[in-house]
Amino acid sequence: MREQEKVNILMVDDQPGKLVTYEAILGELNENLIKARSGKEALDHLLRTDIAVVLMDVSMPELDGFQLADMIRQHPRFQKIAIIFISAVHLTDVDRLNAYQRGAVEYIAVPIVPELLRAKVRVFADLHRKTRQLEMLNRDLRSLSARLLAMQDEERRRIARDLHDGIGPLIAALSMNNGMLAQQTKTLGPEVAEVLHQSNQLVEQLSKETRTISHLLHPPLLDEIGLLPAIKMFAEGFAERSSVKVAVELSPDIGRLPPNVEISIFRIVQECLTNVYRHSGSKTAQIKISHTPDKLLSVQVCDEGKGMAGSNGASTAAGSSHGVGLSGMRERLRELGGTLEIQSGEKGTTVIAAVPVNKTTMKSV
Amino acid sequence: MRTRFLIVDDSELVRKSLRTVLQANPEWEICGEAPDGEAGVKLFKELHPNVVILDFQMPGINGIETARRMSEIAPAVPIVLFTQHASTDLEKHAREVGIRSVVSKTNAFPMVGMIQALLGPTDSEPATTDPGSSKKG
Repeated sequence: MREQEKVNILMVDDQPGKLVTYEAILGELNENLIKARSGKEALDHLLRTDIAVVLMDVSMPELDGFQLADMIRQHPRFQKIAIIFISAVHLTDVDRLNAYQRGAVEYIAVPIVPELLRAKVRVFADLHRKTRQLEMLNRDLRSLSARLLAMQDEERRRIARDLHDGIGPLIAALSMNNGMLAQQTKTLGPEVAEVLHQSNQLVEQLSKETRTISHLLHPPLLDEIGLLPAIKMFAEGFAERSSVKVAVELSPDIGRLPPNVEISIFRIVQECLTNVYRHSGSKTAQIKISHTPDKLLSVQVCDEGKGMAGSNGASTAAGSSHGVGLSGMRERLRELGGTLEIQSGEKGTTVIAAVPVNKTTMKSV
Repeated sequence: MRTRFLIVDDSELVRKSLRTVLQANPEWEICGEAPDGEAGVKLFKELHPNVVILDFQMPGINGIETARRMSEIAPAVPIVLFTQHASTDLEKHAREVGIRSVVSKTNAFPMVGMIQALLGPTDSEPATTDPGSSKKG
């Protein structure tokens, strides 16, 4: 967006003469000035156009300024519009308070000082422009982070596949060759047999480590059989590596989900368990995945650890000291139209992700 | 009659090693090799093997789906899933489609003994043969 992209300023007054005056005062701001001669006409413009500032008279026939302000504020899209009242009457503190309670940003008494009105409108027009720029940047950032997450998934999948297709067969062949040699141990002599035994152990260790790296990068069962077996396998491996006892409770009717949903849920569970191990000090963890009555897939990971520092109950802000993990989870869920809730206290942490799932897109294994 | 093996694995190296291991037993022979599931099912129909050694993760259909199709054709033929991804859950899915055994590629040693056990006390006479087979080994 260009720095000086014009914003819309709506001027509402039942007297045409006043509208002309406002136009003359605000003309040099070089913004789009829109005139409305009644509350109804103003609402019509608001519904059709993105308005930055509403400049309105308090006293108008039919719909007065206060009533119009109430109607504007009721609409969620108009919450951020700057409303400036202009009034020749109703100038007590109670009137002013009334206006500010309706969300006015200014209450200007007649006679107007043109320079002051222009300066005030300019502030709110610039604020609106900057807000719009921020919103646009925010959208760009979200779309970028979604792309990055998708690329990261794809890259992990590729490396896991390379390990599987490249190193996996070498290890399998080595293992089989050693197996052949092992059948000849009687003719090899004790020293060679011992070296062969050690060699076997090395192959096993090599294979175990390669397998762990590959599975952490991308779970092989996810694409081939589905989310639930992949989560169970991951939980088994995690429990073995971390000594955290993991209970898994998965509703068997979940079946296959769209690939982007499966990988996102898997990554969320993976991230949660990693946090349990790294930060919670908990010796147990529980994973629960089930459908809710309102057609959401609920994914819960709980621990009995020390809770998250800085978190006070229901909502923990993404991007806080908990690193990119939580932000990543939120971004993944945002992409799926889901939500993330974190309950954390002295008795542990529960992370609840809710994902809308369209049952028609699912198929059974 | 010698026991005839079909090997289905996308890695040529693994197929070659399996061939070496299996052919060390003079009563065993490799009747065919396929690099993916579809080709494996085709050879399975044509060659009527006595045992199938099957990879899990391959291009195209995976080992589970391949085994399901083979079991529909000749359910009595023992299929061994030979995989880098052996786990209890994969084993459960494997059993459901008629796979008799899951062997980890990372520890292939028990493979030979396990196949012998699958074939029965004597390996000169295969315990399980394809009833539809008329082809002699």
